[in-house]
Amino acid sequence: MGVELTRAPADGAILPPDQSFFDGLNGELTDKGFLVTSTEELFQWARTGSLWWMTFGLACCAVEMIHVNMPRYDLERFGAAPRASPRQSDVMIVAGTLCNKMAPALRRVYDQMSEPKYVISMGSCANGGGYYHYSYSVVRGCDRIVPIDIYVPGCPPTAEALLYGIMQLQRKIRRSGTVER
Amino acid sequence: MADYLEKLEGQADAGDPEVGDVTIENYTINFGPQHPAAHGVLRLVMELDGEIVERVDPHVGLLHRGTEKLIEYKTYTQALPYFDRLDYCSPLCMEHSFVLAIEKLLDIEVPIRAQYLRVFFAELTRISNHMLNLGSHVMDVGAMTPNLWLFEIREDCLNFFERMSGARMHHNYLRPGGVHQDVPLKLLTDIGEWLDTRLPRLFEDAISLVADNRIFKQRNVDIAVVSRDDAIKWGFSGPMIRGSGIPWDLRKSQPYDVYAKMDFDVPVGTRGDCYDRFMVRVEEVRQSARIMRQCLNEMPEGPIASLDRKVVPPKRGEMKRSMEALIHHFKLYTEGFHVPAGDVYVATESPKGEFGVYLVADGSNKPYRCKIRPTAFSHLQAMDFMMKGHMLADTTAVLGAMDIVFGECDR
Amino acid sequence: MRAPAPAYAADLNGATIDAAQALGAKLLSATDLVGEVALHVDRVSLVETMTALRDTPGLEYQQLMEIAGVDYPDRGADRFEVVYCLLSLTRNHRIRVHVQTDEEKPVPSVTGLWPVAGWLEREVYDMYGVLFSGNADLRRILTDYGFRGHPQRKDFPLTGFVELRYSEEAKRVVYEPVQLAQDFRTFDFMSPWEGAEYILPGDEKAALPEAKGAPTPLKADEIVKADATQSAKAAPTTPKTTDSPAQTGDGKAEPK
Repeated sequence: MGVELTRAPADGAILPPDQSFFDGLNGELTDKGFLVTSTEELFQWARTGSLWWMTFGLACCAVEMIHVNMPRYDLERFGAAPRASPRQSDVMIVAGTLCNKMAPALRRVYDQMSEPKYVISMGSCANGGGYYHYSYSVVRGCDRIVPIDIYVPGCPPTAEALLYGIMQLQRKIRRSGTVER
Repeated sequence: MADYLEKLEGQADAGDPEVGDVTIENYTINFGPQHPAAHGVLRLVMELDGEIVERVDPHVGLLHRGTEKLIEYKTYTQALPYFDRLDYCSPLCMEHSFVLAIEKLLDIEVPIRAQYLRVFFAELTRISNHMLNLGSHVMDVGAMTPNLWLFEIREDCLNFFERMSGARMHHNYLRPGGVHQDVPLKLLTDIGEWLDTRLPRLFEDAISLVADNRIFKQRNVDIAVVSRDDAIKWGFSGPMIRGSGIPWDLRKSQPYDVYAKMDFDVPVGTRGDCYDRFMVRVEEVRQSARIMRQCLNEMPEGPIASLDRKVVPPKRGEMKRSMEALIHHFKLYTEGFHVPAGDVYVATESPKGEFGVYLVADGSNKPYRCKIRPTAFSHLQAMDFMMKGHMLADTTAVLGAMDIVFGECDR
Repeated sequence: MRAPAPAYAADLNGATIDAAQALGAKLLSATDLVGEVALHVDRVSLVETMTALRDTPGLEYQQLMEIAGVDYPDRGADRFEVVYCLLSLTRNHRIRVHVQTDEEKPVPSVTGLWPVAGWLEREVYDMYGVLFSGNADLRRILTDYGFRGHPQRKDFPLTGFVELRYSEEAKRVVYEPVQLAQDFRTFDFMSPWEGAEYILPGDEKAALPEAKGAPTPLKADEIVKADATQSAKAAPTTPKTTDSPAQTGDGKAEPK
């Protein structure tokens, strides 16, 4: 897993990503029977592997957010499963235009999530108002309400784009651990 | 104990529940605005007596984006993409009303191939919309598998849309005077093949799981029955009015584009409950596929947009060689075209019902007023009387059968 | 009508206007423009008018599809217009009913005839501040809880007056005056010679605009009528293109 792409070998053989790393890991495990790592790294590994996300579908982007869960894109490959309750979820995907009437509810849901929590802003409306930037009833970017970790651009972003955004979030978690707020 | 029973004697009736019984008061619960079964950002304030719904007060406007106000500040060309974002499950059908309204005021002719393309892709949009609605309806009442299959169809539709316009969801494909660009022949043949093989296989499989399913029927039959009179009084349209037994389809009775030439049936419900609405949509998918096949057979060659260069921008190839075309292109994409003063109300049959646009033009390049008639607004309003006396758990079935999308309801 | 707009029974337009004359003084004017019938009616007796439109045989407008508000601030008195779009399922016909009012004079509610009017009137009230007497539930519907002003009025700014932000100090979402990083850019497309009130000598002959979509002082229905009288227009000429250097009109290179 990861976003680093390895160049495909010329003969067309399918090479699993980072084979030497897995071989080394496997060798150590069969040799000693245990692995040594830091708790910090263990936690980060666990966090990236089960990003349960809160469905916060607001507008058009919600449809693409559903699509990424459906068989074609199958987000659950990455351990990211949709949760309806904020208490059980680790990441909130704000998908769609955030309107003034909805903003307090968004913040309340965010406050109910347990730490560590991450937020993905999906689509240009959530990123900065987008096509509705100058409207009297639209929050010009949901980062005015909640802190955002990943911005996914597009109107709406394709399902692939959201998938890539989630992979970016995993990478960010691996790199920086818990985000200090 | 004996003392208690003596006291209870002749008193344990609901009229004076002081002893033995507990007084149950109606209580109010709040459903939403963030709820997975709300299909978006609906907030329902419900008054319950036990688990029986006494009163529902839907709060809408949580997705009110001020579209109508923004449209007044944009030229007609710039305003068109707002319509995609109204009902994001069936974007092309939203454009259809607006485009037809502009054309009615301009009194501009549309080439026949463009009309066929519009009808063809509007029907594909109808299929993809119904996939989302039917899938989420069955999921809300507890079935998981059909949704996965129906979304596979929807994913195919989005691929076709991407090949048609370059965008998966917000196409901006219909333009005043025609459509934006011609489609490759391979796309049409691929869709034709898909209509004959993949669509019926996946769709009939998925529907066969629920259509005669006992649990699905228990959740839907006789839920939220709407009589014909009520359907008319509450301004129902689309599958909602047809589910109540009124054969009213704007494609049939007030045909626009080439719908007059199309040969299709209008499915009608018999009881007016959630199950009928579901089955009406199921049959509409089959009829849409029929219309699309007919379009493929009859679609002529020819221009795909009006040749009126004061409305439709020239092709890029022409622009590179003709100064006049370059000027037209520049003027159309900065100033836009002017629509003569007048007001029209144009309504088309979107997958959810009558989607209307009341357009007031003042002769300038921007709409003076563009009132959008959403379908969900009148349907959701009837929620109160439809829910009365039903169980709390029926809310999701009723909402699912209404097919509500908030981008359009709240604008 | 050459546009492929929805074709309802437009041949009933004339008969509808004739039948509507029975409304008498309640009907201020009846027009048939761009193929659509619009009735301007008296505000006070709106409910009787609507009842007649719904129940009279030969009119039978059973369904109320839409109530739209329009703001015409230049009109002076009675700046708002409330437009009721009615549909007859039996006659397959549509009409619009226009009523004029201002901020204070209430429009009689038609919720007694069509319960669907409840929310539609609420929306017009929310957007324009038009009052409806007899609507029992005239709350705001679309705008924010506690919103001030009526956003669809022409004098309401596009970006409104307040915007939201989460305040770390107050631990809640707070409202603040709008501060835009970049103003909304509007352009004035009215060129000085198009905006002129006077008609230059010779221009009065230009009854029709040069082409569809060109600026014209004519109303849409005048263009439709003029087009109907005209025969089918000739196909547009081939675009003036420059396919070869010979057509560019430049001189030949100097012979050596």
